Amino acid sequence: MARIALFDPCYMNTLRPGDAANAVHVLEALGDEVTLLDGRCCGQPAFNSGFRNEARSVGREALKAGRPFEAVVVTSGSCTSMVRHYLPMLYDGPRRLAAGQIAERFVDFPTYVGTHPKLDSVIFQLEGTVAVHDACHTRRELGSSHHVLALLERVEGLEVRRLAHEEECCGFGGSFSVKLPEVSVAMMTSKLDDVALSGARVITSADYSCLAHLQAGADGIGLQMEGWSLPEVLARALE
Amino acid sequence: MSHYRERAAKEIREERPSATVTPIMRKLVADSRNMLARGPQDARERASAARAYAVDHLEELHAQLKANFERRGIGYHRASTAEEAVATMTRLLGDAKRVAKSKSMVGEEIGLTHALRAAGMDILETDIGEYIVDIEGRGPSHITAPALHLNRTRIRELLARTGADLPDDDPTRLSQYVRDVVGEFFRDCDAGITGANAVIASSGRVVAVENEGNVSLGVSHPKLHIIITGIEKVVADEAAALAVLQVLAANATAQPLTSFTHFLGDPLPGQERHVVFVDHGRSRIAADPRYREVLKCIRCSACMNGCPVYRSAGGLSYGSPYMGPIGAVVSPLLWRDGRFADLPFASSLCGRCTESCPVEIPLHRMLLDLRADAVAQHLVADRKERLAWKAWALAFGGATRARAASAFARVGLRGAGRAIRPPGPTRDDPRLLPEPGKPHNEELLIKAADRRDELPVIAPAEILPDSLPGRFAHRAGQLGVAVVEELEPREGDRVVHATAAIASTGSVLLSGDAALKRPLLAASRVVVHVDPATIVEYPAGLASYLGDGECLLLTGASRTADIEKVIVRGIHGAAEMVVVLARPTS
Repeated sequence: MARIALFDPCYMNTLRPGDAANAVHVLEALGDEVTLLDGRCCGQPAFNSGFRNEARSVGREALKAGRPFEAVVVTSGSCTSMVRHYLPMLYDGPRRLAAGQIAERFVDFPTYVGTHPKLDSVIFQLEGTVAVHDACHTRRELGSSHHVLALLERVEGLEVRRLAHEEECCGFGGSFSVKLPEVSVAMMTSKLDDVALSGARVITSADYSCLAHLQAGADGIGLQMEGWSLPEVLARALE
Repeated sequence: MSHYRERAAKEIREERPSATVTPIMRKLVADSRNMLARGPQDARERASAARAYAVDHLEELHAQLKANFERRGIGYHRASTAEEAVATMTRLLGDAKRVAKSKSMVGEEIGLTHALRAAGMDILETDIGEYIVDIEGRGPSHITAPALHLNRTRIRELLARTGADLPDDDPTRLSQYVRDVVGEFFRDCDAGITGANAVIASSGRVVAVENEGNVSLGVSHPKLHIIITGIEKVVADEAAALAVLQVLAANATAQPLTSFTHFLGDPLPGQERHVVFVDHGRSRIAADPRYREVLKCIRCSACMNGCPVYRSAGGLSYGSPYMGPIGAVVSPLLWRDGRFADLPFASSLCGRCTESCPVEIPLHRMLLDLRADAVAQHLVADRKERLAWKAWALAFGGATRARAASAFARVGLRGAGRAIRPPGPTRDDPRLLPEPGKPHNEELLIKAADRRDELPVIAPAEILPDSLPGRFAHRAGQLGVAVVEELEPREGDRVVHATAAIASTGSVLLSGDAALKRPLLAASRVVVHVDPATIVEYPAGLASYLGDGECLLLTGASRTADIEKVIVRGIHGAAEMVVVLARPTS
């Protein structure tokens, strides 16, 4: 039994409070002992905006919290890539090495679950259809999109539809969606067209941030769609 | 400050670039991928290594190049600023009045056309796309397809402004109209200005690629030929140039190689040739380890072709001659006065640019570094934003405070808070902040409708002939080139013998007299004899056939796709090419 932590990203805690329980449920079904780490941020919002000192001081809290665990499972691809690829860069010399050693233990939810030794012992079952949004950080920074698809395909009774143009960004991009709203909305509209054409009413992804943005757009234009995090789909498939 | 947001918002509101650009780019990216799949497998690594070597040995290669230019009688010039470059060009042009210019990104960068016109010269943009955007006066919206933002109706209107009386807006007719204007200009002009895609240090040859034939005219017709390019375009040797060519056209236009690939050697008899290398901040970039790799860029446009931001707001929104992800990186590095400091923020950081770059430039990581630079230098972010990040860092600096901040935000997002939209200059933003923790409806899982989208059809693997000549004939055939074993001669034929040919691209290599542009362009049909024993698999295999003189690689007939990416064949030069594939009889 592995002693691991679940890192509940700050935006998840704001937008989907309680979603962490879904991830914990899946991890416990795999036999892990899970400690919840909430109330931390990886520093990405400031980092992507060019405010590196602020990003480092906030990200440090995430690294400190993760230090005691052999693995820190993160339910967001972009936060995982922030911690693994960028946080250590914000330190110099031996501190960069030390930060890197902790950062390496942070792993995205699909990779952790998808490569779990006890995965075959768990049965997932859920009737219905979902579309998958292939989040950019999961796809390119982490290279773990195949785990997302493989996990969803394990779910008995679930039809999984990939979106047309799945390699295209949904237009969220964190502060990008606020700083350049016109461009962001144009990109989002294009993605929502593909969601609508897929016929699915539920869309899932390894990054809920993309889904929250698409949800905001769908609600605004009156498209019936719900964004469910990957842990939520899998947790429901366990019941 | 460049005000990307204002320009992008205006473009999106008034022009909806995505409607034109997205379908074209989706197809181009898919076609490029298929073209690159032909191999060789190591094309990207080779191109990246060739460019990295050049950037790491810039001055050494320039010294070698200078000596080779001296041997050939080509003038070597170097300008450290844009102003100096314009002054050098003006001096070299002397009393030239009518000047034919082909497409050059460095020319755009230094404002060359404008400056030379201000000096009283008659400058004609001879590339069809450039000719069109020159009339419009807003500049190119794409580095390889300058008129991408204009549809055929608009182009017809623009041409009408210059007195063209065209019965309809058929792209073939529009392209041929411009071709005729350009052809007429070349009959009587004093100088030609062209660009370069690589300059080979070891041999002193200049590599230039094109599809229309206007570069062929520009390098061969006028008595004075001036090449303008960036100092970083130098490469070590022929192998390095071929490594660049192997990825350039496949990414830019989804062609195996462009119709014409010139290896320019000695000036023609009676011709004067100069090369002007523009620095304009490049030496400084080369000295900065964080950004030096951006000088590896071969200006292929792969990064913008796949970029969702570029597609949504178009190329003109960047306000720079360099648009898309490469533009967002290189513009603030070249112009250090802060005018483009906001361009690195014109990205959702999806990383597709880095993924598609054929010379492995980590573009999205550079965008992140440039954002930090812009903040540190106070070129972006007002006092309010700076205070907001300080407050944010304080709130998320401890778990208890962070939980409180999240709870506070949730309250704000519920009820009345949901109706509040971010303030903006337009009301075109439909987004409604989602209600935190809203329960999900499991019934939606079973309420799915049928799919109505078209998923990309994966083309069945191509079955290629077993033999090298067979593969060559197959690829040449795909380009519209007839491959025969014997041929009845026809009047107006230009008959030449190829030095070598390439199977993967269907190209033929002409050297020496066979590579002379004038007779080739004047021919109604080009007949090329290819000895099957001289066929190589990939462009990389060509190095030993290139010799030291003038060479020309022909890949299909002269063509353009500058209007809505519709292919029109036979621009300046023969529309028809025939290859006679047979062992020499002697």
